[in-house]
Amino acid sequence: MRRMLRLHRIFVAQYMKNLMEYKVDFLTGAISFLLGQVVQIAFIGIIFSQIPTLVGWDFNEILFIYGFSLIPKGIDHLLFDNLWSVGYFIVRKGDFDKYLTRPINSLFYVIAEKFCVDAFGELFIGIVLIVYSAIKLRLTITWYMIPLFFVAVIFATLIYTSIKIATSAISFWTKASGHITHMFYMTNDFSKYPTTIYNKFVRTFITYVIPFAFTAFYPASYFLSGENPLFCIGGTVVSSVVLFVISVCIWNMGIKAYESAGS
Amino acid sequence: MIYVNDLRKEFKKTIKEPGLKGSVKALFKPKNEIIKAVDGISFHVEKGEMLGFIGPNGAGKSTVIKMLTGILTPTSGTCEINGHIPQKNRQEYVKEIGVVFGQRTQLWWDLALRETYSVLKEIYDVPDAEFKKRMVFLNEVLELESFITSPVRTLSLGQRMRADIAASLLHNPKVLFLDEPTIGLDVVVKDNIRNAIQKINEEEGTTVILTTHDLADIELLCNRIVMIDKGKKVFDGSVSQLKHDFGQMRELQYELISIKDLKKLNYNEDLKKNEEDISMSNEGALVTVRFNCDAVSVEEMLSYTLSKVHVKDINLKDADIEEIIRRIYRQEVSMDEV
Repeated sequence: MRRMLRLHRIFVAQYMKNLMEYKVDFLTGAISFLLGQVVQIAFIGIIFSQIPTLVGWDFNEILFIYGFSLIPKGIDHLLFDNLWSVGYFIVRKGDFDKYLTRPINSLFYVIAEKFCVDAFGELFIGIVLIVYSAIKLRLTITWYMIPLFFVAVIFATLIYTSIKIATSAISFWTKASGHITHMFYMTNDFSKYPTTIYNKFVRTFITYVIPFAFTAFYPASYFLSGENPLFCIGGTVVSSVVLFVISVCIWNMGIKAYESAGS
Repeated sequence: MIYVNDLRKEFKKTIKEPGLKGSVKALFKPKNEIIKAVDGISFHVEKGEMLGFIGPNGAGKSTVIKMLTGILTPTSGTCEINGHIPQKNRQEYVKEIGVVFGQRTQLWWDLALRETYSVLKEIYDVPDAEFKKRMVFLNEVLELESFITSPVRTLSLGQRMRADIAASLLHNPKVLFLDEPTIGLDVVVKDNIRNAIQKINEEEGTTVILTTHDLADIELLCNRIVMIDKGKKVFDGSVSQLKHDFGQMRELQYELISIKDLKKLNYNEDLKKNEEDISMSNEGALVTVRFNCDAVSVEEMLSYTLSKVHVKDINLKDADIEEIIRRIYRQEVSMDEV
């Protein structure tokens, strides 16, 4: 484990050096991301200029949930972004070979190789929104909420990552699965709003099937109301661990099915 | 050291419709066609041996290498290298091997070469002192100095190949797998790389398994050849054995004093042999006759020729290895078409 951390640090350091070589690319990425977020938040603002509350949640509470959703998503984006490439082209082009000829865990190697700095934008906006809305709402924060917050964020991140691991591993059989990852990943948009606004099917789906509701709405609602911590935080932990175990199994099975590419 | 027993790899070729729908459909309802890429190959390699893998494109060479290096999981059969089964405990196994795929670099595209090696040092846990010694040695045999500070993406193919080979040797592997290490390189770089491989094999007793289409690689480096075609082993032995077994083709070359004599020659009819065994071609007065010395003796050929025509200069050549291999490949093809 310590060796992995050290390797990760080395990879990150190398990646940062690269970044300096592709400054324009990095800046464009960061700016386009910021614009996207501003539009989304403006949209929420427009909705709330027409209605006072959304099924009992007011503007600031929605901002809190929205801001919370950006943090695990941002961390996942920061650290585990290379999984997208697995599904889109690494497996299809046979480039996965190199991950199998090194004496480190292939999943770890793929993940550690890339470090996506654009994600700092997401994290920054997420934190700003949370702090801003928490102040506006005059949230009562008890001491144990702080460690719980970190627990919630870490395990919520694991949900994102597990879904990406599992869906990108499908490419070991189908050669490319980027679209599948995209399809599942995009359902996370549902989690930025209270699940109570959806019909029963969507609610069940994002709670029990692809548990994206645990990446934002459930944990955030605990911090907003202080109620139901067992389900809201415990659910995040349990669902992410279950999902992670499943996705690692799929990954390991996938490696056995990997067919490389002709040369 | 390396034991390969009845190794097989079948690929399911999925007939897949395009797009997202197609992938999802293929996931649940695949339509398959089975291709036998490697069809029951067995061989064994001693420590310190240099084994050349040859065969036409698509014969299954790379597939064998990829199974031996743990990238692919065999459909059936076993391979054991240095007491390891590559697919089991892959991480422990790959510490002991070095792998180079000539067609595809394993280095990081954007990293300077020097940085690349320091990352690899960490990955393989090479101690500092060992690493320094190793770099000096690799530098000397592969001449990395001039481009060690450049990012990998800016290297020429020859430099990149040397860089890749050095990377595969950093952790002092017991077995080195080279899949087409000289592909697309100029003569000087090829020589350089061959010398390096030889030196490493001699000095460190590294077992080397290489695939190539360049038969000079084989003649200069390998004491043993395994030839495969259509996933099956067709030959296993030394270069001289290959010449002995398949080298019945000889080449008789001479210059006619009078070009008119050309008409008098009819090897196939007069000696009652088909085109397979004797074939004649000429460039003006220079005549080349290729013949199978199992079917026609050298003496017979010479006496027939000299009885028919007057010649200026005559010489008889052994078939070279390239010619032999060309014949083997062609034979396989024609056998299949019948």
